[in-house]
Amino acid sequence: MSSFVDYTVNGLVIGNIYALLAVGLALIFGVANLINFAQGSVYTIGAYIGWAAITFLHMPLPLTMAIVFVGSGLIGVLIERIGLRPLQGKARIAPLIATIGLSFVLDQLVQLIFSASPRALPSDLPDIRIDIAGGSIGAMDVLIAGAGLSSAAVLYVFLRFTKLGYAVRATAQDREAARQMGVNVDAVNSAVFAIASALGGLSGLLVGMYYNHIDPAMSFQATLKGVVAQVIGGVGNVPGAIVGSLLLGLVESYGIALLGTSYRNLFAFVLLIGFLLFLPNGLFGGRSVVHSEPLTGSFIAPSREFPVPRWAVIALTLTAFALPLIYNAPYLLQTLTNAWLAAMLALSLTLVSGTTGQMSFGHAGLLAIGGYASALLALNIGWSPALSIPAAGLIAAAIGTALVFPAFRLRGHYIAIATLAIGEIVSLTILNWESLTQGAMGISGIPPLSAFGHEAYSARSVYYVCLVVLAALALLQTRLLSSHLGRTLRAVREDEVAARSFGIQLSHYKSIAFAFGGFGAGVSGGIAAHLYSYLNNQTFDSQLSLLALTMVILGGMGNVLGAILGALVLVGLPEMFRFAAEYRILIYGIVLLLLIRFRPQGLLGAV
Amino acid sequence: MTIAPSLSRRGIFAALAALLSLTSAPAFAQAAKGEPITLGVSGPLTGPNAQYGAQWKKGFELALEEINGRGGVQGGRPLQYVFEDSQADPRQTVAIAQKFVSDPKIVVELGDFSSTASMAASSIYQRAGLVQFGFTNSHPKFTLGGDFIWSNSVSQADEQPRLAKYAADLGFKHLAVLYLNTDWGRASQNIFSEAAKTAGLEVVASEGYQPDEKDFRSTLVRVRDAKPDAIILISYYADGALISRQIRSVGLTTPIVASGSVYSPKFIELAGDASNGVYTESNFFPGDSRPEVQAFVNKFKAKYNEEPDDFNAVAYDTIVLIASVIDKYGVDRTAIRDGLASIKDVPSVIYGKASFDTQTRRVAGARAVYLVVRDGKFGLWDGVKPATN
Repeated sequence: MSSFVDYTVNGLVIGNIYALLAVGLALIFGVANLINFAQGSVYTIGAYIGWAAITFLHMPLPLTMAIVFVGSGLIGVLIERIGLRPLQGKARIAPLIATIGLSFVLDQLVQLIFSASPRALPSDLPDIRIDIAGGSIGAMDVLIAGAGLSSAAVLYVFLRFTKLGYAVRATAQDREAARQMGVNVDAVNSAVFAIASALGGLSGLLVGMYYNHIDPAMSFQATLKGVVAQVIGGVGNVPGAIVGSLLLGLVESYGIALLGTSYRNLFAFVLLIGFLLFLPNGLFGGRSVVHSEPLTGSFIAPSREFPVPRWAVIALTLTAFALPLIYNAPYLLQTLTNAWLAAMLALSLTLVSGTTGQMSFGHAGLLAIGGYASALLALNIGWSPALSIPAAGLIAAAIGTALVFPAFRLRGHYIAIATLAIGEIVSLTILNWESLTQGAMGISGIPPLSAFGHEAYSARSVYYVCLVVLAALALLQTRLLSSHLGRTLRAVREDEVAARSFGIQLSHYKSIAFAFGGFGAGVSGGIAAHLYSYLNNQTFDSQLSLLALTMVILGGMGNVLGAILGALVLVGLPEMFRFAAEYRILIYGIVLLLLIRFRPQGLLGAV
Repeated sequence: MTIAPSLSRRGIFAALAALLSLTSAPAFAQAAKGEPITLGVSGPLTGPNAQYGAQWKKGFELALEEINGRGGVQGGRPLQYVFEDSQADPRQTVAIAQKFVSDPKIVVELGDFSSTASMAASSIYQRAGLVQFGFTNSHPKFTLGGDFIWSNSVSQADEQPRLAKYAADLGFKHLAVLYLNTDWGRASQNIFSEAAKTAGLEVVASEGYQPDEKDFRSTLVRVRDAKPDAIILISYYADGALISRQIRSVGLTTPIVASGSVYSPKFIELAGDASNGVYTESNFFPGDSRPEVQAFVNKFKAKYNEEPDDFNAVAYDTIVLIASVIDKYGVDRTAIRDGLASIKDVPSVIYGKASFDTQTRRVAGARAVYLVVRDGKFGLWDGVKPATN
């Protein structure tokens, strides 16, 4: 019984920490309707500003907090100015990618300036502890709770009772109407980012002190948990974000109590899925929240497809096929092979997200299912890869569609968050289902690609295998898009209500898109498994899902050629910047930002 | 080979490679003047594991400075390395592998950091006949990749039984194990549990945690309820420090015994007061009186003005080992493989003297010392058992 009290207290303590993260995310989402992936980076920067202030300037805590607050707020203004304002009126998805690009740049800058190794961030708080049941609560816990609650309270008062608060709420409700009423919408956005980032930075400082540990890689996990917490509380709802965070902390803590530590995140994401399915507005969201969500169609930029003449496509394809004969450089061929594998993933995603309008943030999960399916079929049953890879495609299509099916009634950001959670659940299931997947130890000794007794392992033959599969998938998808099926899928994207009134069974067509996409992604994962000969739960991580999304948006949503081009660019760029060593991901992030800034509808345009 | 574009492209690559070797191998010696011999390194310089790549570089450069300073290998040829950033991502290690195997200048490959990343590339190295030398790869199946896959990483089959014995020597009977849920941690935990059973100890709880986990309070309730008389940490220094701090801050006084991988000055910095009383053992300890350890520590401190840690030491050891193989057996890729099998008793910080078991392609018999943290410093264990109840 006393353990139960302990789990509860511990759940509230960690929920307390999530709350600080979630409040900033909720504020930005509420006003700008944007999941700010750079929020985690601001959190990291806040921690490092604090570290510098304490280490070099020996500042007392209140002054450090003030500096962090102001410094992070300024970063927020910068993020809004670079990532958001120039992209207004462009594709709704563009700012999201911009925040991802910004988070790359900011994280890399922190790493270059402060080095990658973790640092201690000591606090000068007195070491007072209050004993509760078997555990205890320290001064830092109280400070964090105080910061979370008081920032929520201050925000509440600010939004309810001040003039700028009115303007913020008006902008959140209807940007155009607010502008017509004389609200300076840009200034409002700027203020919101400043406040949210100031809070984000402050939470980085406090959490860093709490753990006495800061490192440049801490941002992604922070964003992830913050997003989960604020969805549970009700997207864009500040008090909801706090309650949602506490609930998330409690569920994680009870999850550990029930099944053990390695199940913690599984509980978190299952909770999230539960909320999305049964209470998509969250604990505190009014009914109106989902309705104010844009129709999915407006996610995608209105644009004209960049016309690529048929002869050019044929010429490029022939060049791709002829390349290994002319220039047989294994490194180049391997890089291109990686690009083709990524392109299969991008094709799958562009069909699901671009053509059908179902944003998927968890596509790496399909790769993982495909990879493990093919590896296990080959190793346990002795199937030839020629058989196990297509089978893996079918399995990924079936499992992927079944997993996402219940989420089909969600739209816009909600389906994005649901797929993110599903991707995480797949990866955590792989980690914990040791009897099948061998968990973290992974599967080794996966046989190389082969067909009819011929093994394909030279860079050239692997290149051809991937290129042929990619060409087939691309051709198939092009045919699909120009058929009545493609038209129907686009109709689903453009206007679900209109589509339904024409007698289109939405979930039916969404299933077709996911099944077709799942097949392509599963095949890509299957080939990768035989290529690497070793897989574990980290081979296909959630960063890969974000990368795939970036490829698709870069190429142009729904655009088949664009997806391939996007994959080629995003696999190729980091390789091209190899000479820059430690700086290459920084350069990559900057290039990504520039691309989104000047071509938000994608290189070849959305279709 | 006569096609113009390929030549010009090759020219560009050559120029880039030259640029690379300038930026990433500044420790060029004056003494060695011959044509340089290039080692290919695949490892993380960016991404979540970037810190380890940076640690490697320090060890590499110290070793190269020393070797090239006394005239290089093979009668005056300097050694240098090309460090390709993989972010420890399997998609990038396979590309790097192709790059290295097709570059005739590369005579041996070192790395990558994680087994996920290294083992994805093993088949490429094996088929091309270029030695993949993983010096942080303790995955039990890593060297099964083929006869070109070697490792001098301390085998967990050596290390974990020693940790179990230390726990037994300290007088503990009931152990709770917290392990990092990666291939390394999972393999270590398996071997540890077996060894503990053999030593007559009981593992009363076993909890795996994710690498990015920061909060352990609820896990510690589980641990407390299992009533162990010691907590075993199979962790790296950063997570080990986080857990140690939280063990103390939730008010548990249970003694902590941590695997050698926490050994780093950073562990004490990050864990603060909670590091006091932590028992650990290490293959590498700067206070170790062995002459090869003292020589390394002094040189390292002179160059970097900081205490070396385990990652610095293995990187240093690896270059010293590879240099002696090349010096003795030549620069041919196959000769290096055969050389690894034949070479005996290379001076080593970790092993004292390193020789390979030709069956497992690993080095056995890592030295280790029992350590305990007192007053914020690692020190040799004085043999005093803690009071247990």
